[in-house]
Amino acid sequence: MHLDGVPDMLTRRTLILATAGLAAVPLAGRPAAADATDQALAFIDKLGRDLTAIVNGPATLKDKQAGLEKIVDRDVDVVEVARFCLGRFWRSATPAQQREYTELFHKVLVNNITGKVGEYQGVSFIIGRPQTRDDVVAVSSTVIRPGNAPNKVDWLVSMSTGGPKIIDVIAEGTSLRLTQRSDYSAYLARNNNNVQALIDAMRQQANQQS
Amino acid sequence: MRAILQPALLGAVLVMSAAVMGCATPPPASDPDALAEYKENNDPLEPTNRVFYNINNGIDVVILRPIALAYHYVMPETVRTHTHNVLTNLGTPVVLANDMLQGKPRRAGDTLMRMLINSTIGLAGIFDVAGDWGYPQHDSDAGITLAVWGMPDGAYLFLPILGPSNPRDAVGFGVNLLMDPLFYAKGDIATGLSYGRLGLGAIDARERVLTDLDKITAQALDPYATIRSLARQHRHSQIDDAINDKRATNPWPSQPAASQPAVKKTP
Repeated sequence: MHLDGVPDMLTRRTLILATAGLAAVPLAGRPAAADATDQALAFIDKLGRDLTAIVNGPATLKDKQAGLEKIVDRDVDVVEVARFCLGRFWRSATPAQQREYTELFHKVLVNNITGKVGEYQGVSFIIGRPQTRDDVVAVSSTVIRPGNAPNKVDWLVSMSTGGPKIIDVIAEGTSLRLTQRSDYSAYLARNNNNVQALIDAMRQQANQQS
Repeated sequence: MRAILQPALLGAVLVMSAAVMGCATPPPASDPDALAEYKENNDPLEPTNRVFYNINNGIDVVILRPIALAYHYVMPETVRTHTHNVLTNLGTPVVLANDMLQGKPRRAGDTLMRMLINSTIGLAGIFDVAGDWGYPQHDSDAGITLAVWGMPDGAYLFLPILGPSNPRDAVGFGVNLLMDPLFYAKGDIATGLSYGRLGLGAIDARERVLTDLDKITAQALDPYATIRSLARQHRHSQIDDAINDKRATNPWPSQPAASQPAVKKTP
């Protein structure tokens, strides 16, 4: 930028243009939101490509599972999802319980995802339209598996922690984290709302799977 | 007669069992979080529902699941797919009637085209030709119609044999049976066929969720609550799909209608 030699008029005109541009923003949609939407879209697009590359790739089952775990750790806000799934009991849990619970949650989640690797052979994604609400972008997609009807899957991407992170997956209208939360809260309700009982059950679950 | 008897019987069983086994006690008002959760679950008959869930599970483990497994392994995938297509096609008259009652002309159009194309070119529904030609299948039944008309679903019910439901959908189930023209066919052959269709429908439906349901029971700490949540969310999304389908009947809207939203936007 070489403002020194520029006549006053030009800078003023630039200023006016800039102001006009800003004024036009509410009509055209906020650029920040549009930016977040683009970012989320690119993020899910990359995730879809990475997932299909791993699942349909030539690697051994063990390597595929390791690859999937890496993607979960990279793209899913596991701590946030874990906290959501514990609901109101997160506050009543001790810090040690919170830590142990989150660790187990991560382990069970990874086991559940990597356990499905064989079934997803030949999977492909079609990314659809994104919708933004606050700092969460819902990216819709169609997941196609050979021999199955196409599934509608929405990815909830949160932008609140800086980079985009997945906080929920909604398959055919059913939210994974809502379903998980009602599972945990029902288990807690039947065990005197004792978080330790939940943690013990989760540990058993994690050990059975691995 | 048979059609009227079934829902009535279900209703009677439910009322009686609810009276015998009682209801869940809501948490005290001093615990607002627990109270909110109780309301969100909307399952005041939980103890009774859990009994039926366990009974159904028992029946499933001993009868339905083994049959579905056998069906899965004995029949090649193509046979199962085409059987499913035929069953779906037999259901189109009821789907069409419900689409119309919901006031959804484009959905009704999709269903009508599916019925016409698949019953003829699709050889009695064996092939889903209409699906490939841009008339996709969607879910529609009397329960969804009642929901579109504004009837709330009410408390959760786990019905014997039928599984997850609620008062509205239980009524819808009965209405759906009465709406089916095939149900009024007379004669031994027609009765035999309609029972065959019912049985095959149950096996087909069970086979399609074999892996999913196995996974839920294996992974959930409380499968009853997980299924309650999944069933309700899925139902709501079916209803939302019907309500939000606002495709215009005229694919080429006239000029003033098209420019109207733009005028409205500027405050």
